Amino acid sequence: MTRALLLAAIGLSFASLPCAAAEKGDAAAGKTKAYTCHGCHGITGWKNPYPNYHVPKIGGQHYEYLVAALTEYRNGERAHPTMQAQGESLSDADIRDIAAYLSSLTP
Amino acid sequence: MKRILVPLLIALVSASAAHAAKPDIEAGKQKSAPCQACHSADGNADIDPQYPRLAGQYRDYLAQALREYKKGNRTNLIMAGFVAPLSDQDIEDLAAYFASLPGGKLVDLHDRVQGD
Repeated sequence: MTRALLLAAIGLSFASLPCAAAEKGDAAAGKTKAYTCHGCHGITGWKNPYPNYHVPKIGGQHYEYLVAALTEYRNGERAHPTMQAQGESLSDADIRDIAAYLSSLTP
Repeated sequence: MKRILVPLLIALVSASAAHAAKPDIEAGKQKSAPCQACHSADGNADIDPQYPRLAGQYRDYLAQALREYKKGNRTNLIMAGFVAPLSDQDIEDLAAYFASLPGGKLVDLHDRVQGD
């Protein structure tokens, strides 16, 4: 009995761990939070100055990648002053919500 | 004097233009096999969503991203390994190839601000 309980407890704790880590963002909340993103990513053909290149298309991008990219900007693992500043204003939950909204967009 | 200077200038300008890496989509396709393992052959990376979609992304952004991985302005162990051997020409070719792929699922946020 104890052994069965112990096994069940171990099983449960494993089951709940990845679940908590992978809790997906809320696309509806993300839509509101993504308002600032439109300033650059919402203008077709908008370019980053110095160096000069197009601001990337981020709608329809994969959720997991968007979460990773935003987190990397926030942590300074990607060097881009504007995006680092944006990232610093975001919580983990904000990042997940914004990623959920952006990844939900289709052409 | 002028007659000598003008052709000289023209020659100089065209020489420097030829030196700049000119993107070649077909060459990029030939070099793209290693990329496809993660970003898939169609560039949409539906194999594993931790990797970004590249198909239809802006060419100059893709080239910029590759250069940043190479310089270490983006830290990513996997990409660091792949970009290390790439020349400027390779980077331009690969960026041009993935930007040219049809069937991309990426969109910009134009007209998606509110109420749509």
